[in-house]
Amino acid sequence: MFSGYDFDVIQRSLPYLFRDGMTFTVTLTLLAMTGGIVFGTLLAMMRLSSFAPFSLVAGSYVNLMRSLPLVLVIFWFFFLVPYIGGWIVGAPRPIAVGAFWSAVITFTMFEAAYYCEIMRAGIQSIPRGQVAAGQALGLNYWQTMGHVILPQAFRNMLPVLLTQTIILFQDTSLVYVISATDFLGAAAKIANRDYRLVEMYTFVAAVYFVISFALSALVKRLQSRMAIVQ
Amino acid sequence: MRYNWDWSIYFQRASDGSGTWLHYLFVGLAWTLATALAAWVIALVVGSIVGTLRTTPSKWIVRLGNAYVEIFRNIPLLVQMFLWFFVLPELLPKGLGDAVKQIPPPWGSYLPAVLSLGIYTSVRVAEQVRAGIQSLPRGQRMAGTALGLTLPQNYRFVLLPMAFRIILPPLTSEFLNIIKNSSVALTIGLLELTGRARAMQEFSFKVFEAFAAATVIYLVTNMIVVVLMRALERRVRVPGFIGTTAKAPQAGH
Amino acid sequence: MNSSMIEFRAVSKWYGSFQVLKRCSTRVDKGQVVVVCGPSGSGKSTLIKCVNGLEPFQEGEIIVNAESVGAKGTNLSRLRSKIGMVFQHFELFPHMSVTENLNLAQVKVLGRSREEATTKSMALLKRVGLEAHAKKYPGELSGGQQQRVAIARGLAMDPIAMLFDEPTSALDPEMINEVLDVMVELAQEGMTMMVVTHEMGFARKVAHRVVFMDNGEIVEDAATEEFFGSPRSDRAQLFLSKILQH
Repeated sequence: MFSGYDFDVIQRSLPYLFRDGMTFTVTLTLLAMTGGIVFGTLLAMMRLSSFAPFSLVAGSYVNLMRSLPLVLVIFWFFFLVPYIGGWIVGAPRPIAVGAFWSAVITFTMFEAAYYCEIMRAGIQSIPRGQVAAGQALGLNYWQTMGHVILPQAFRNMLPVLLTQTIILFQDTSLVYVISATDFLGAAAKIANRDYRLVEMYTFVAAVYFVISFALSALVKRLQSRMAIVQ
Repeated sequence: MRYNWDWSIYFQRASDGSGTWLHYLFVGLAWTLATALAAWVIALVVGSIVGTLRTTPSKWIVRLGNAYVEIFRNIPLLVQMFLWFFVLPELLPKGLGDAVKQIPPPWGSYLPAVLSLGIYTSVRVAEQVRAGIQSLPRGQRMAGTALGLTLPQNYRFVLLPMAFRIILPPLTSEFLNIIKNSSVALTIGLLELTGRARAMQEFSFKVFEAFAAATVIYLVTNMIVVVLMRALERRVRVPGFIGTTAKAPQAGH
Repeated sequence: MNSSMIEFRAVSKWYGSFQVLKRCSTRVDKGQVVVVCGPSGSGKSTLIKCVNGLEPFQEGEIIVNAESVGAKGTNLSRLRSKIGMVFQHFELFPHMSVTENLNLAQVKVLGRSREEATTKSMALLKRVGLEAHAKKYPGELSGGQQQRVAIARGLAMDPIAMLFDEPTSALDPEMINEVLDVMVELAQEGMTMMVVTHEMGFARKVAHRVVFMDNGEIVEDAATEEFFGSPRSDRAQLFLSKILQH
């Protein structure tokens, strides 16, 4: 099976694959995770708000995002962001955004819907008495949320948030459809240039597997450690 | 900064000459559903088997099942699709591999898309099936054994019928996921709904009309599936049994 | 000693069409201890939660320290910071140490410096006999200890009154007294207190007045000796005979 398998092409392209491709993938994952969790938490707070317009808007947004294929959302934002950017800065034509920032915005907005549902469950898992206790001490809404509810919700949900991030890490490979040079994109370029598809794609699969598997194992350990503490 | 909307585009002739753009998109929906349904059959069959095996008393079978789940869960769907589409034919004996490569479009894309999507989703189905079986009271399994049922009979008549009812809601969302995920097949040249929206955008330059139409079609499809699955849930509901579906939040798509 | 600290004026509250409070009127004067009792579901917990606006009410008025709780212009956060509250299930913040629990609102609401707050917290922990546990987390303490921390947390705000919502009913019997002792001491120092409880021994010992509720109504509102000596209503008599049996 490995006769004719050209290990050399992998070795030759390692710097390109990792310095360019994997850096893109990891940076995108980390930025979208941070943005997604922040925006998702705000969405969760809106969804749980007793002010109907807030919960309606947030609920609709989350349901819309969760009903659409990520690939379609990537296309949407790829074309939409330059228009919105142009509209914001008042330019007559769509502005150039580039695949990377387009991807960052897309994944932040898309993953926020999923992080929102996780944080919503996390917030709801905190006994209502905690809110009452915070209020009774004179803390306002933001103080109660920021000091009492969110830290606990975040802690309880940490394993699920991390699992979602592993999914995000894998999903970033879909920036292939806007020809970005992420890890897979870099491999695909070499695969097509040197006609080494078997080598490049099996290598890509192996790398994704090792990283995702290791991260999942870490999450599992974290989960069992948290179970003991509780 | 304006965008000139042209909603009449849907009724103009599509670039492939087969009809209007609207018709073109609906053919895409048909491919989306054909891909999703075929993949769902694989996912359900393989997922049920793997999920069940992971609850059996045999340590080795459980390990095998775990390995299957870990492999196909930790590689992105897109990469898996490339493996089936680009890599597999090269690894097959030359004659067979060439024959695979000769499969005419769109079947040459359809088959690997169905296989990869089916296997990818089977892992998630397996997780649900396992969780469903494990959520049953331990006494159920013992009661079955005490009645003299063999292990397969115990699964067939006692454990699985209840487990499947319990996991019906999560299976619904997995089915919705498979419809959405079928869009990844556009990367290997399958012109399903998203792929056709993309093609429409490229040929007609009507970016947002194309994606708006696809968005609406996906949303309506979603709603129809949800309504149908609710009906199914009602049909198979066991009187007096309150579904104890663990409402724990899950990561996923 | 007759100025009113908390005054209920015909307070009514509904959950949908179900009326949980029916024109409740009573008052807690400065330096007084008022015990609210009654069968479960009688509305006593709801009543006490109206005092600091944790539960909204639809009709009537509650005046706390000359401020109307339900009124539009009332700054609830500021009002709440002056009223300490102790809950049935303690509601300590599990992700913070005992000291941090006491410091949080002192720093965030009263604007005290961290050192100032910590000094205050340590003094109060010493007072409830828990200074050795300052660095522990709530999960590491017994129920009785947690409730004493919760009382200290309320006191840290230098409250003008304290509300207790069934402070001992979630405790194991052997821990009830350590909490009641702290409360008795507090009452004897002249703290204004409104206490929802079934602990009639506590009521006899320190309460100035007892309010008896049933079905959302204040059925009896009498001086303590009078309430225990000769309860006027049948419902209060029945309740007392049941509760004093054990």
